[in-house]
Amino acid sequence: MNIITCFKVVPEEQDITVKPNRDISFEKAPMTISAYDLNCIEAGTQLAEANGGNVIGISVGAKKIDDSKLKKNVLSRGPESIFMVADDKLENIDTYQTANALKAVAEKIKDYDLILCGEGSADLYAQQVGPQLGQLLSLPAINSVSKITLADGKAIVERTLENELETLEISLPAVISVTSDINLPRIPSMKQILAAGKKSATIWSAEDAGIGNLSATLGVIETKAPEQMDRKKDIVQGDSEEAIKSFITKIQEVLK
Amino acid sequence: MKVFVFAENQKALLELCCGARQIGERIEAIVINSQDDKDTEVADKVWSIPQQDNAMLEDYTETIAALLEREKPDLLIFEPTKRCKLIAGRLAAMAGTSVMTDLIELTKEGEGSHLVYGGAAIRKEKLNTSLAIATIGPGVLQGSKETGKGEIELFPFVEPIRKIKVLNKEQKPKLSVNLPSAKRVIGVGRGIAKEEDLGMIRQLADVINAEVGCSRPIAEAERWMPKETYIGVSGLMLAPEVYMAIGISGQVQHTVGMNRSKVVIAINKDKNAPIFGQADYGIVGDLYKVVPALLDQLK
Ligand SMILES: Cc1cc2nc3c(=O)[nH]c(=O)nc-3n(C[C@H](O)[C@H](O)[C@H](O)COP(=O)(O)OP(=O)(O)OC[C@H]3O[C@@H](n4cnc5c(N)ncnc54)[C@H](O)[C@@H]3O)c2cc1C
Ligand SMILES: Nc1ncnc2c1ncn2[C@@H]1O[C@H](COP(=O)(O)O)[C@@H](O)[C@H]1O
Repeated sequence: MNIITCFKVVPEEQDITVKPNRDISFEKAPMTISAYDLNCIEAGTQLAEANGGNVIGISVGAKKIDDSKLKKNVLSRGPESIFMVADDKLENIDTYQTANALKAVAEKIKDYDLILCGEGSADLYAQQVGPQLGQLLSLPAINSVSKITLADGKAIVERTLENELETLEISLPAVISVTSDINLPRIPSMKQILAAGKKSATIWSAEDAGIGNLSATLGVIETKAPEQMDRKKDIVQGDSEEAIKSFITKIQEVLK
Repeated sequence: MKVFVFAENQKALLELCCGARQIGERIEAIVINSQDDKDTEVADKVWSIPQQDNAMLEDYTETIAALLEREKPDLLIFEPTKRCKLIAGRLAAMAGTSVMTDLIELTKEGEGSHLVYGGAAIRKEKLNTSLAIATIGPGVLQGSKETGKGEIELFPFVEPIRKIKVLNKEQKPKLSVNLPSAKRVIGVGRGIAKEEDLGMIRQLADVINAEVGCSRPIAEAERWMPKETYIGVSGLMLAPEVYMAIGISGQVQHTVGMNRSKVVIAINKDKNAPIFGQADYGIVGDLYKVVPALLDQLK
């Protein structure tokens, strides 16, 4: 059983800053694993622990995603190996390009039974790469999956939708996008962190993977921080009886 | 521009068709076996696909693909539900394009705006393929009431190659609150120490005539409140008259869901909590002191 888990490498959100002209800056933001892909990696690891098998982490992006601390972080969470296409030709690619690049990686790995994606990437949150990847690989694709059990050649999954809960049977291989509440990602132990150093990571260029020339389908016109609403910022300090009284007087006006 | 519209819910279909008039000259709706003539009042044409026994909505993807191939619309709009996002993604892969998801704005020129980096930024983007696909909330395109010609044409079902078997399907219990239409909303966050303490928040909500929503961790990690009630970039986008944030730090992923509120009130014990930067009124204090006092004095 080979399980591929897709993880995106993104700038750490908390360290993104806004410039006075509302441009955003990543200067202080280190690269990190996209938040919900921690759930994706954990889901793959738990399935391998329960059914036997091997977890492979894959990612595509610009050269900077090939970061040793980050790879170690991924490998300490369960995957036995990582395959990456890290190439500046893949900087800021759209979801169609991403799905095509991941398809190329999966086809190079060849032997897999299941591909897992996260709910959405922390930067774009398009919720698109999983469905597109499944279609490109001519495999069944399903999203919003909150539980997976494996049984000879198929997966039984629970799917949580806006107004319904579904139980589905999907033949493998398939591409399954999992929700962020499917599990609680583990905190790797010291032993797992040390073991991660001995695991393997394979890094390809776009050319190695044969995906150099796919042009963008989506053009970005601008990326700007939203304009801030003007707020009164009338803040009472402290919660003495006096302070609370003054706060209540202020909001009583509003709540009238 | 010729715009096709597909939705999971009929109400959303009607609203999206009306709204789409702002973008395209010709609006055509895709429906599964419509016997409801309401559909036809809002579109210039309705493509009716015969309903199949035991089919999931997703099983109509190949049929929609065949229709797109033949009719070549410029833009295909979906309601932003999970099912529609799956269908949209698969269609995009077939057509060699991407999907602009969860748009908060869409112009006649086909430029869509979408929150990125958890709401820290708005990205304006445009598809440069002959077919553009977008998912967009019904409220975003404010619709004109213009009516369509409403002719109906049957489009034959195309059998999907890969089928997923539905073993069981359950309806989730319907929520009694309707947060998007509430005039006043209280949002609770991780500042609440125990589930029981929500009782005190609900009492306050009764007193000030508000509905209660929450931050994502209260719904997803703690599961103290239903998932459908969390506010923010991946949850509800609200614009009530009054929003009161209690024990919420004010991370951008949350605040994009409430920053269009008319008045924002914040209660937080940390004077450096970012929520105060987005509040009209606030108090730096322990909610376990402030909320009981509010209950006592606002009654
Ligand atoms: C891709 C992505 C999407 C996300 N989408 C959403 C979303 O849609 N909505 C959302 O809400 N979050 C979302 N998040 C999570 C978001 O980043 C924050 O983690 C979350 O909003 C924090 O919730 P909180 O404010 O309740 O908790 P915390 O950040 O833990 O804040 C708790 C606050 O309570 C205060 N407090 C503690 N005790 C008391 C007390 N006794 N009295 C008064 N104050 C007290 C603390 O000072 C603190 O400020 C998303 C994250 C990612 C990565
Ligand atoms: N560049 C990438 N490399 C690896 N996996 C990715 C990449 N982009 C997206 N994914 C996967 O696809 C999911 C959905 O991403 P998105 O469609 O961008 O919201 C993510 O949670 C990841 O699991």
